[in-house]
Amino acid sequence: MSISTPGGPERRPTVVSTGKKPAAGRPAAGAKAGSGKPTGPRPGAGGKGRKPVTPVKVSQGRAWGPIALFVAVGVLAASIIGYGAWASFQGSKPWEERAAEIDGIVNFRKTDKTLVEGGNHQAGSITYSVLPPVAGPHNPSWQNCMGDVYDAPIANEHAVHSLEHGTVWVTYRPDLPADQVSKLAEKVRGKEKLMLSPFEGLDKPISLQAWGYQLKVDNADDKRIDDFIKALRVNASIEGPTALCSQGITATGTTPRDGAQMPQG
Amino acid sequence: MSAPTTIETSELDDQTPPERGATARRWGTPALALAIVVGLLLGYAGGLLTPRLTRPGDASAEAGFARDMVTHHAQAVEMGMIAFQRSTDPEVRSIGGDIASAQQGEIGTMQTWLRSWGLDPAGSEPPMSWMPDGASLVKDGLMPGMATPEDMAKLRAAQGRELDVLFLDLMIKHHLGGIHMIDGVLDASDEPDVVATAQTMKNTQRNDLTNLQNALNRLGG
Repeated sequence: MSISTPGGPERRPTVVSTGKKPAAGRPAAGAKAGSGKPTGPRPGAGGKGRKPVTPVKVSQGRAWGPIALFVAVGVLAASIIGYGAWASFQGSKPWEERAAEIDGIVNFRKTDKTLVEGGNHQAGSITYSVLPPVAGPHNPSWQNCMGDVYDAPIANEHAVHSLEHGTVWVTYRPDLPADQVSKLAEKVRGKEKLMLSPFEGLDKPISLQAWGYQLKVDNADDKRIDDFIKALRVNASIEGPTALCSQGITATGTTPRDGAQMPQG
Repeated sequence: MSAPTTIETSELDDQTPPERGATARRWGTPALALAIVVGLLLGYAGGLLTPRLTRPGDASAEAGFARDMVTHHAQAVEMGMIAFQRSTDPEVRSIGGDIASAQQGEIGTMQTWLRSWGLDPAGSEPPMSWMPDGASLVKDGLMPGMATPEDMAKLRAAQGRELDVLFLDLMIKHHLGGIHMIDGVLDASDEPDVVATAQTMKNTQRNDLTNLQNALNRLGG
């Protein structure tokens, strides 16, 4: 579309006085243009063949067509850019913010800074203030967290080390129905930085742990399980995204195995 | 013929009345300046946003490949480390160490992509859904070529020649599945860094396959 409005004011007198259009370069055609115009593409321009009337009529109004066009294009451009900005900033919200938006999540990184500070290695049994544990000192060996599905409880001391490496540890009360357990297993199996195990004495059917975070839910279909995993798996690692999950303890049992980093078969 | 053209242009001219000439001259310069400033700002905003809008998104093949290949690689690292640590055959040990360290490095590369694209390491889609008919290749949550938990338990328990043969066998299958996934992203992506890295992965794994197969032949597996 040609928008020649800016050039209009200067050129208009030429058209009026000579009746010829410089761009067209043909006086005859220019003269015709005066009469032909009203029947042209612009609607509502009025009758045909009345050469003197039409220019006067048009000159009284503003050039609404181009103005409307500019506004429309401007609004369109602004909304495209605005939407893009909104969508991309929304999508790249930091994982901490997205974790905070999960209903019912407990963030121990906020409430208990000393708890989540770090990962000192410590042999033997360790008492954890939060159960299932979410952070704290832990055994030098980590629990294998290559999407392992454990069918018996595992040692907290190894599991906390896996959390430190960015694992989301899904635990369930041993009385959780089998179909619910297999739904959880489906989410976990085959994906590194995830592991599943039963946990004795849970006050809710299902509890999810990441380093410094916990979420308890009643049902394996709860959408917040996926939200928790999406926001915190790997992201919650305090040793970066390449901390290992393999070469860990693959045995179950709640007693930590000291000096047993080798796979236990 | 020529008449329509003239009609159009003269019509546009007519839209601006002559008496507006003075007004236009008075406001013309500030309006033009404003238009230029607005245009520059829009251009700047567009320039800022374009990389965000054109980089791979959460559901892209690139992101799907990066996430799934991280998982796939992680198991190769696990198997390679077992061979490196426990094999009694010098060549198998060195192949295991080589694969484990190389693929762990590539995991870092792919995790860095995801972070630079503003994406989570964890995806929202099921594994392999970024590849056409990829979901059908997933068995028990395992991507093509991946060892089952039972395979892994056997490998951890194996000793001596049994371990070497099992490792070589599992790693050959693992690489074949991996190359299939790499071909998938090579078909789907034109992101230069992804394509270059995927091509390198493919070359490396092809070479590995030759050496793994030769070692397996030597051990009579």
